[in-house]
Amino acid sequence: MNHSDKNVPSEPASAGRLQKPLVSCRNLSKYFGGTRALDRVSLELYPGEVVALIGDNGAGKSTLVKILSGLESHDEGELWLGETCVAKLGPREARRFGVETVHQNLNLCDNLGAAANVMLGQEPVRFRFGPLRIIDEARALAESRRRIDEIGATLDDLTSPVRRLSGGQRQAIAIARALTSAHRLIMFDEPTAALGVHQTRATLELIRRVAAQGVAVMVISHNMEDIFAVAGRVVVLRQGRVILDSPVSAATREGLVAAMMGSAPVLPN
Amino acid sequence: MARLFSPFSFLLTRYGRASGIGLALAAALLVLGIFRPNYMNFDNFMVVALQMSFIGMAAIGTAGLIISGNIDLSIGSMFALSSVCAAMIAKVAPPAIAILAAIVLAGLIGLCNGLLVWRVKLSPIIITLGSMAILRGVVLLITGGYSVRGVPKSFGAFGQAQCLGMPVPVCALVLMALASQFVLSRTTVGRHVFAIGGSRTASIAVGIPLRRLVLGIFLVNGCIIGFSAVLAASRYGSASPSFGIGLELDAITAVILGGVAFTGGEGDILGVMLAVALLGVINSGIVSLGIDPHWSEIVKGGTLLFAVSLDQFSQEARERYRKLLAMKAQ
Repeated sequence: MNHSDKNVPSEPASAGRLQKPLVSCRNLSKYFGGTRALDRVSLELYPGEVVALIGDNGAGKSTLVKILSGLESHDEGELWLGETCVAKLGPREARRFGVETVHQNLNLCDNLGAAANVMLGQEPVRFRFGPLRIIDEARALAESRRRIDEIGATLDDLTSPVRRLSGGQRQAIAIARALTSAHRLIMFDEPTAALGVHQTRATLELIRRVAAQGVAVMVISHNMEDIFAVAGRVVVLRQGRVILDSPVSAATREGLVAAMMGSAPVLPN
Repeated sequence: MARLFSPFSFLLTRYGRASGIGLALAAALLVLGIFRPNYMNFDNFMVVALQMSFIGMAAIGTAGLIISGNIDLSIGSMFALSSVCAAMIAKVAPPAIAILAAIVLAGLIGLCNGLLVWRVKLSPIIITLGSMAILRGVVLLITGGYSVRGVPKSFGAFGQAQCLGMPVPVCALVLMALASQFVLSRTTVGRHVFAIGGSRTASIAVGIPLRRLVLGIFLVNGCIIGFSAVLAASRYGSASPSFGIGLELDAITAVILGGVAFTGGEGDILGVMLAVALLGVINSGIVSLGIDPHWSEIVKGGTLLFAVSLDQFSQEARERYRKLLAMKAQ
């Protein structure tokens, strides 16, 4: 079977790069009952780039994010993480592969402190005692303090429950958690939706910094301004298909909206 | 400022619940000490501790379950089944085998409950209500409704022994409480138990092995019940099919009174153990003071209702307290 001309709806913007992709989806499809939520999606993500993933509600953005973060598994196609083709990815494996997600709902445990949330699932271990692993609280505290300061959030108390913190602080915790092990891909699902002007600017700046460290960043957003401010490439999904995959410099606001809505022909690259 | 530093504001701090129960315990002992001075002696405390040790062990397992957002209502029936089985096996096999078999049996039952809760995705209250009835039925079937008597002396030695100057069940409870407090507060497993009680979706997203953890909690709970059931059968030298009736109510009362949130994610073993002690003192105190012992059921139920109301009110109060603090800070 000749994949090369069937795979890709249009020549991807990343074509001709010398770098190897950190993540590549090849003809990924996902069904929910009889509905095809993703329809042969092919996408490659390279080190250091910020890709905006946009689309109308129900276009398949969150399904794609869930597959990449291991919360759902794909039904058809191949998912490559570097040199490995993964048939079934769980959240644990995804994190081990260095794929992290900042979900829109942030996925914090409200009953735990900031430090416990940052280190959740990856607690530093002081020593093992049979099946029990004793948490190194001092290291956990220091590590999360470092991460949260790095993000530039103001948060003094890392131990009391996070339920009463502000939206910005909570997001900082979720991002700090993602940063601890994201060495391949970090996905932000609507990162600025709950933020004020000032925090939005800080978050976009952070996204640029993360990408500059050589990680691939994918930003799911409805906000065109954010996309043009931070992304290098934009991918438009519509009805589960990749409709457009183009450098942001070649895209216009109107063109993207048209591609999302399906009311205009696909933009040339 | 006066409202911020009211004499009861410490009740809103992290160890507030434990200190509140400690106060109640002290008050109950004070009343008993005044009206029944001979209540206050070591031997009597050991009798109370022995009575409460089985409930205490069950409360530890139940605390783990409730913190993780689960519950097992079948512990009473499980207790009866494994003590009856232990006694039956002890009549034909060495005590060690009887003890081991009963623990393994209860562990497996716990695991089955866990599997059902995991797979059927229904409230664990409903599912374990079912197994509670089934297990009680099984106990009545295999015993014909009669107690299992005439177990060999060698089987009784284990439960009747002393350990560190305490009866073995009391000693087991103390060790179990220390161990579980350590696991819950210091280890990754303990942290994850709190995490899944706090947010299931978040725990899944960060890669906590949810299934393994939930099954593990049910399994450990089963083993604890099995162990305490063996101790009971061994201590009393017999096992009755009516063992453990209402054990789940006692355990849940202690756990909630001890400051574990019924919605999961909050609590510690220290509070639960203090609550067990308080319930024991109240129960024995009623008898000691010559009050009609039928009152004890009413007091028990009343304590449970009091505890859950207190839980709700203290959460609301904490919220107000925080708000007040924030307003002062402005």
